[in-house]
Amino acid sequence: MSLTRRALVGTSAAALAAPALIRSARAEAEPIRIGWLATFTGPLSSPTIGFDRGVKYAAEQINAAGGVNGRMLEIISRDTQGDPTKAVNAAQDVISRQKVHAIFGPVNSGELLATTPIMARAKVPSLVAGVVNSLIDPAKFPNAFRVTPSNAQWDGAVLNYCQNILKAKKVTIMADATGYGTSAHDDSVASFKKAGLDVVYDAVIDPAQPDVTPDMLRSKNAGAEVIVSWTVSSGMAARMMNARAALNWDVPIAGHPALGTGEIGKLVNKPEYWDKVYQVGYRSCSYGADGKLPKASQEFVDSVRGKFPLQDTSLWWIASGVDAIRLIAEAVAKTGSSDSDKIIGYWNTLQMWPGLYGHYSFSPTDHNGFLGTDVVMSKANTAREGAFDLAPGYA
Amino acid sequence: MLAAILAAGLAVGSIYALIGVTYNIMFSASRVMSFTSGQLGMLGGVFGALCIGRLHIPIIPGFVLAMTGCALVGLVTEIVAVRPVLKALDQHLYVLSTLGFALMIQTFTAIEFSTEPQPFPHLLGIGQGGPLDEKFWLPVVACFATIIGLELLYRRTLVGRAFLAIAEDNFAARALGLPERNLRMASFALAGAVGGLAGFSGGELLLAFFANGATLNFLGFVPVALGGLGNNRGAVIGGLALGVFQQAANFLMGGVFAGVAVFAVFIVVLLAAPQGLFGSPPARRV
Repeated sequence: MSLTRRALVGTSAAALAAPALIRSARAEAEPIRIGWLATFTGPLSSPTIGFDRGVKYAAEQINAAGGVNGRMLEIISRDTQGDPTKAVNAAQDVISRQKVHAIFGPVNSGELLATTPIMARAKVPSLVAGVVNSLIDPAKFPNAFRVTPSNAQWDGAVLNYCQNILKAKKVTIMADATGYGTSAHDDSVASFKKAGLDVVYDAVIDPAQPDVTPDMLRSKNAGAEVIVSWTVSSGMAARMMNARAALNWDVPIAGHPALGTGEIGKLVNKPEYWDKVYQVGYRSCSYGADGKLPKASQEFVDSVRGKFPLQDTSLWWIASGVDAIRLIAEAVAKTGSSDSDKIIGYWNTLQMWPGLYGHYSFSPTDHNGFLGTDVVMSKANTAREGAFDLAPGYA
Repeated sequence: MLAAILAAGLAVGSIYALIGVTYNIMFSASRVMSFTSGQLGMLGGVFGALCIGRLHIPIIPGFVLAMTGCALVGLVTEIVAVRPVLKALDQHLYVLSTLGFALMIQTFTAIEFSTEPQPFPHLLGIGQGGPLDEKFWLPVVACFATIIGLELLYRRTLVGRAFLAIAEDNFAARALGLPERNLRMASFALAGAVGGLAGFSGGELLLAFFANGATLNFLGFVPVALGGLGNNRGAVIGGLALGVFQQAANFLMGGVFAGVAVFAVFIVVLLAAPQGLFGSPPARRV
C-alpha cells in the first residue's frame, strides 16, 4: 500500500486536530462546576443556612430543566467554618483540584479578604457576598463581582433614613470591636459628618461588655436623635435596647441587619423594647403597606413554601443564593462557554439584570453591582417568612 | 447618672470579685492558678438558663442544680487538669492543662448549648431596668454572702481550718494526718460553686453565653492581682473598684478606650505594689 502526499497531510491534520476536538467535545459535555464556599458549621453559620437553600434550589431547578446547553450544574461545597485559613485552603482546593468554572463565596468579609486575591490570581470568576468596601477593585480583582450591597450602600441607606425620613440632626454611632465593626464605624462616622449630621457620640464597644448604660447615657445627654448600630452581636444589640428602655428613652435605633435577628426577641426584657428599631433591608424582601412582598418575591415564596423552611432564616440570604447560581448559569448559556474570560466578559455587560434579590449592573470599571435604591430600612421586629415590613416613611 | 454608673459598676465588680475568689480558693488548695475560673462563671449562667429558663425547674431547685453542676466541673478540673501536673509546679504546666481544659469547656458549651447569647430568666421580677433592678444588686448580694460564708467556714469550722492548714503548708498538714487530696478536691468543688454563683447571680447582666468565660477569666484575674494572691477580702475590694472604674471609664471615655484605661491603671498599680494592694511581700529565707 502506497502512501500519497495528500493522504499523509490529511491524516496528520486529523491526528493533530483530534485532541482539541475531543477536548472541545468533552468540555461541552462536562458539568459546569461551581465552587460554593461557606460557613456550614460554627458560630457564624446562620447566613449559610439561608444561602445554601437558595444555591441548591436554583441548581436543582436548572438541572431539572435540562441544565445549561445540556450541561448539568455541579455544586462543589466546602465548609470554611468561618475561619480565613480554612477558607484559603478550600479556595485552593476548588480551584486547583476540582477545576471549578466559577466560585460563589465565602459569605463573610473576613474570609473574603483572604480568598479574593487567590481567586484573582487563578482568574476564576467569583461572586462576592461580602460588604467590606475594599473587596471590590476591578483593577486588582477583575474576576470578582459583588452581588450584595457594599457597606457604603448599607451606610447610605441608614444615612438616608436618618436624615431624610427621621429628620435627625444629631446621631450616635456605636459599633462592636470586631474587624467589621471597626471599619463600619469609621466609614459611618465619616459619611454622616460629610452629609452634615452632628455625630454627638461615637464608640467601638467590646460586644461582651455586660452593660452599655454608660454609652447610652452619654448619647442621651448629648441630645442624640437616632442611635446608629453597626454590630452583628445580638447580645450587644439587645443590651442597647434594654438600656434605652431603662433610661425611659424612645430614641430610634437604626443600622445593621442583625438588629432583626430572632435571638434579639429572646434577649430584650420586654417585647416592646424592640419597637422603633430599624434594620437595613431590601425592597425585594420587604412587605409593603398592603402586607405583600413584591410580585417576583411573593411568587418565589409561594412556590417554595413547604419545600424548605423560611421562618428560621432571612429571605434575602436565600434570594442571593438563587441569584448567584442563575448569574453563573446565564453567563454560560449566553456565551456558550464556561471559560473564565467569557463568563467575566458577560458579567461586565450586565445592566439592571433583574434578580430575585435585586437588580445588578456591572461594567469593566465597576463591580459593585447591587442597585443602591434596592436597599431600604425595615422594621426589625416584624419578621415573617424571613422578610420584614418596610420601615415607616417609605412609599 | 451617677446611680446608673455605680449600680452597673458594683454589679460587674461583684462578678469579677467572685471570679477572683474562685482563683484564690483553687490557688490556696493547690498552688495552681486555674484558668478554668472564668469558665465556671460562664457555666453558672448557662446552667441557670438551662435549668430555670429551658427546663422550667423552679428557682431554688434550679439554683441548687446549677451550683451542683459547677461544683462537679470544679471537681473534674482538679482530677483532669490539676492533679497530673502538681509534681511539676515549677515548670508551670498547669497553665497549659487548665487553659486546655477551659477551652474544652467553652467549645463543648458552644456546641451543646448555643453559639448565640441566650436569655437568663428574671429570678425575682424586681425592678424595671433602673438602678434598683435585681440584675444590679443580685451579684452584690451574692458577693457579700459568699465572703461572709467563707469567713465563717474558715474561722468557725474544723473543715475550714483544715482548708487553711493545707493552704499554709500542705506538707505539714499531711504530716499531721490531714487528708490533703480530699481537702483539695473539696476546695475545687467549693471554687466551682463560687464561680458558678458569679455567673448565676450576674446572669441577667451577662446573659448565658459561651464566650463569657474568656472575658471573666481575664477580668476576674485583675482583682486577684490587685488584691493580692490568696487574699479574698483584697479580691472583693479590687473587684468592686475595677467594676466601678470600668463603668466610669465607659461613660467618660467610651468604647474600647475604657478597656485600655482599665489595664493602664492595673499595670500602674502593679508597678507600684507588685504584691497587690493588700498582699504582703513574700517571706525570704536568709
